[in-house]
Amino acid sequence: MYLTRKHLSRRTVLKGAGVSLGLPLLDAMIPAATALAQTAAAPKLRAGFFYLPHGAIMWNTPYGAEMDRWTPSGSGADFRLSPILEPLEPFKHQVTSFGHLENKAPQGSVHGLFPATWLSGVRPDQEATGAHMAPTIDQMIAARIGQDTVLPSLEVASETTIQSAACGSGGCYYSATLAFRDEKTPLPMEFNPRKVFTQLFGAGDTPEEREIIAGRTQSILDLINTRANELKGTLGAADRVVLDDYLESVRETERRVELASERDLSDIDLPDAPIGELSDFDEQVRLLFDLIALAYQADVTRVATYFMVGEATNRTYNHIGVPDAFHPLSHHANNLQRLEKLVLIQRYHVERFADFLGKLASIPDGDGSLLDHSMFLYGSNMSNSDRHNNYPLPMLLVGGGAGRLSGGRHIDLPERTTHSNLLLTVVNKAGFELQSLSDSTGEIAGV
Amino acid sequence: MLRPPNAVSQRAGRQPSSSRTDRAGAILTAVQSVSKWLFAPLGIAAATVGAVYWLDRDRDRDAWATLETACTGCHNDTDFAGELSFAGMTLDSIPGHPEIFESVVRKLRGHFMPPPGEPRPGQAEIDALISQLERSLDANAARTPGYVRARRLSRTEYGRAVKGLLGVDIDPAEYLPTEIEVDGFTNVASALSVSPTFIEQYVNVARTVAHLAVGEPVPKVAAAYFPPAPDNQRAYIDGFPPGTRGGIRIRHSFPADGEYRLTINELGVGLYPSALETEHTLVVLVDKEERFRRNIGGPEDLALSNRGGAPARAEIMARFADIPLEVKAGAREIIITFIERSRALSDDQIAAGSGRGDSSYAGAPRVPGINGGIDLLGPFESTGLSRTASRELLFVCEPEVPARERPCAEQIAARLVERAFRRPATEADLDRLMPFYEEGRLGPGGFDEGIELIVTAVLASPDFLYRTISPPVELDSTRFALDDYELASRLSFFLWSQGPDDELLGLAAAGELEQPAVLESQARRMLADARATVLVTDFALPWLNVDDLDAVQPDTQIFGDEFSEGLREDFADEIKLFVESILLEDENVRDLLTADHTFLNERLARHYGVDGVFGPQFRRVTVANAARHGLLGKGAVLLRTSYGDRTSPVLRGAWVLEKLIGTPPVPPPPGVETDLAQNPDQEPTTLRARLEAHRANPNCGACHGAIDPYGLALENFTVTGRWRDVDRDAGAAIDASAELPGGRAVDGPVSLAAALLESSDQFVQALTEKLMMYALGRELEHFDMPAVRAIVDAAAEQDYRFSGLVEGIVASEAFRMQAVADDVGE
Repeated sequence: MYLTRKHLSRRTVLKGAGVSLGLPLLDAMIPAATALAQTAAAPKLRAGFFYLPHGAIMWNTPYGAEMDRWTPSGSGADFRLSPILEPLEPFKHQVTSFGHLENKAPQGSVHGLFPATWLSGVRPDQEATGAHMAPTIDQMIAARIGQDTVLPSLEVASETTIQSAACGSGGCYYSATLAFRDEKTPLPMEFNPRKVFTQLFGAGDTPEEREIIAGRTQSILDLINTRANELKGTLGAADRVVLDDYLESVRETERRVELASERDLSDIDLPDAPIGELSDFDEQVRLLFDLIALAYQADVTRVATYFMVGEATNRTYNHIGVPDAFHPLSHHANNLQRLEKLVLIQRYHVERFADFLGKLASIPDGDGSLLDHSMFLYGSNMSNSDRHNNYPLPMLLVGGGAGRLSGGRHIDLPERTTHSNLLLTVVNKAGFELQSLSDSTGEIAGV
Repeated sequence: MLRPPNAVSQRAGRQPSSSRTDRAGAILTAVQSVSKWLFAPLGIAAATVGAVYWLDRDRDRDAWATLETACTGCHNDTDFAGELSFAGMTLDSIPGHPEIFESVVRKLRGHFMPPPGEPRPGQAEIDALISQLERSLDANAARTPGYVRARRLSRTEYGRAVKGLLGVDIDPAEYLPTEIEVDGFTNVASALSVSPTFIEQYVNVARTVAHLAVGEPVPKVAAAYFPPAPDNQRAYIDGFPPGTRGGIRIRHSFPADGEYRLTINELGVGLYPSALETEHTLVVLVDKEERFRRNIGGPEDLALSNRGGAPARAEIMARFADIPLEVKAGAREIIITFIERSRALSDDQIAAGSGRGDSSYAGAPRVPGINGGIDLLGPFESTGLSRTASRELLFVCEPEVPARERPCAEQIAARLVERAFRRPATEADLDRLMPFYEEGRLGPGGFDEGIELIVTAVLASPDFLYRTISPPVELDSTRFALDDYELASRLSFFLWSQGPDDELLGLAAAGELEQPAVLESQARRMLADARATVLVTDFALPWLNVDDLDAVQPDTQIFGDEFSEGLREDFADEIKLFVESILLEDENVRDLLTADHTFLNERLARHYGVDGVFGPQFRRVTVANAARHGLLGKGAVLLRTSYGDRTSPVLRGAWVLEKLIGTPPVPPPPGVETDLAQNPDQEPTTLRARLEAHRANPNCGACHGAIDPYGLALENFTVTGRWRDVDRDAGAAIDASAELPGGRAVDGPVSLAAALLESSDQFVQALTEKLMMYALGRELEHFDMPAVRAIVDAAAEQDYRFSGLVEGIVASEAFRMQAVADDVGE
């Protein structure tokens, strides 16, 4: 449990993570008028994926449209946000909402398949030994736009995503992560802010120390590389594949260490690393959003995936007056009091997301702001949590998309339009030219 | 109600094909005549053999007829229920389709088939079918040991391994990525993936561990923070010095000898400083030796706080800031606690108004507690390094003169490599490691820094991180035996979650470990060793799903009177001690279901309604009340299988099925109503009534008929495991009677345990399957089941002692051998 020498007491860190110092924490990181802000080159797209389990309160309760607290309406000047989405008002010209999306991939599972299929649209092969699905679009995009940064992608969560209520008997492969690097590699979602910080900025207290450590890390990686190759020679074919995976990760790490040693953080006044997971959930959520903003700003990564609270979590939201555990509450049984409490939770996460958008909007990036150059998918892979169904999905696309997103509208799609159409639209906006993705029938027009 | 088997076949349109029956009969007749001809010349003896043979054959044929009547109504080519058809199959199809028939056995054992509500044959006939299927499967078992792929250490194993190697205690969760669990276990090879982030974190943790092991030759001031005490601050905490109340215990590896400064952040002197009303004494102990004593509270402090407000409170807290402590390097325990004093007058809780949650004063104790975290800063004015336990393990030599440095470093490296890589060190290993030494030696830390870099490189090396099994160079079979070192590793990771010790390595070096008797005696030795307690924490508790009791948060509005965080810890302590007392004291594992002893302290005993247990220490107690016997009476189990606001017969039933019977139910299909919460405007009803309504729907009843009865029998236990006779919400008496699938009637936990005990080989098998999965680090396949049944049968001869199961697994081919991967579809 070692911290840096520039240790902050818990109170200071809590404050730093929370409301009072939320912005100053970011400001401290901003190299005033850095090269980043002055670059005139083509804007670099940032992509982000923000997942909330347990759906949203939409028109598919027995109360119908009257009880819909999610779906916005109209476009342009007539674009009206809903009670849950109202915190996005300042940014609504960069918000697109989608009606009537359906994801068939997780159907038949209670919770177990919801997180992982959100960004794949592909039903996992649950009979396979180990995980077996398809790469998720965040990872596809990272493979395209993330290769010049230290971290091709960043995967974070507010709390542990291993929730036994979601796992089912076959393991937690599909409930514990949003991101699959390839069809058989689920990526862990890190919820310890301290580890996220080290991932972003490296180990060590001072720049000199970081340099020595980076050099030694390089020799160690060389050793690992040599030995893993030798070891591979003594193994059977199937085991050589395991070592190949390992070696691939080692080479990727070498690349990162090299990139990290080349970058110049000298004019960034890095704050001290956070202590660890914060016991106050609200502060934890704010801190993780801050760290993602920081990562985009310092250009450590351009793709982030954030699991905002665990699937089937028992987390309570006392700070907004909801003492009930989220998962049991989400089985609302059409009880109006429960529905209203769920609205509060869903709106709470939108509020934190809106804070984050506000920060990005205030950070200059090339010819605009970071937000102008971002494309964020926000939503859930569930619809009515009482039914565990997947139609209609609450889903938003947010940000300027480096000029590629129109924004400011609700697009009412034909009934049961496959969610894969949206995934296809998103990857193509990020520079792909795919014809189809999973069960897609085409891109969504007017985005 | 049971109907005769022929009732099944009378259902319209679902009669098994008579032509198939005829065909089977014809074949049997033909076989019969051939065998008569074969046996004829052998006289009497042959006739006897033939008679036995035909008795068996008749029995088998009857069993198969049970399957045809009971199953083919749905599992035929037309209905193809569950994508399974028995059409065209006969007795002789069983050996050829173990994947189908092992699953049939499991469905039958779990009473899932025929689905409750459908006509079913008598239990005797089903049992006959089960044993016939198992006999046939066992007699024709495929001889493959299965394949376990190359796998890295899990983060738990990593933590235990560095503790064993270097005496360094780290919380691996603090440094390493979360592992994916399969059935609660984190050591399953196919789930142990790697990613670049993973590599970075493992290199980082290697650096940290090496640093802690060597200590800090040129120490710099560092700070550590320890979160607030999880324990109830009002009561004595088990393991603390007698005569103390509340407090916090910190374990910390101090990098060097020197002065450290400790700051206590919050003692309950906030806005309403009721903690200051009376005088209390705070003490700080290092390794149980008192180092600091100071009073807090009493008239002066109270007056100061009342008049001076926040600055005055800060002044009071300043007395507990930067407490200087001289500490020697190494892992030390710090306890900060209060001297216990009379509780008269002062220590009662302020229960304002209605007594529950209405007032911000409610529940605020009038004593100070360690409510905030602890900061530790240091070392200041370091006086060097003492010989710590870690250095003792690592520095097998100390160079007296510079010329001795390099040979000594080589000696240290060789010794470390042997234990860390779980095989003898080679010249090549040293050639690779010594450059690290040379580089580190040039740093400010000199020799020690060189050693530190060696340790880092060893811990980051794939030889440490990966356990591999190499096929022999000349491979002439589809399987091969593990070599002695691979076997030593497999054995020690199974029983100790870490690499082999010197004795095992010695036996491996001598090539003796592969001898069955040696292997068995080593398993016995290791089970008796203290390191085997990790079998409880790493295997048994995750298996029973009671390793994360925090997952259930009882609603304080409902359970405020009967539940506290302290009680949750008691549950965790009790279940650990209880399971340990049976597995590690080598009792009959069936005692897990029925043992009349448990481990209680006063708080838990009161909760259970057991008299005569006083004080906070846990002790072994024989409990007369049979409802508390075995796992089913334990708070940990009952809490973990509940929701925060109500019990769940479904979760409890599913738990019994999965853990105690070994036949986990399938999850509910999509789109079904799964909520049983009550609408506030409805008349409250018991859960039993709500579940009965639910089961009346045939879609639900098909599975819930096999799940709910076990849980209903446990309805006398509340969410927190307290006994109740009345459902308070519904105002109705608890009815804990149920008819188990298979027809046996039970009423309450005692008769449920008795019913489970009757088929207790099934419990032993459920445990054995999971233990074997854990031992191998892979999920079991259908071809493993004959071996599992053989281990259970053999263990029966030894009264089902835990060591019998362990020995059976260790002796199995699956444990000692490896299949060539392609043969098992990898």
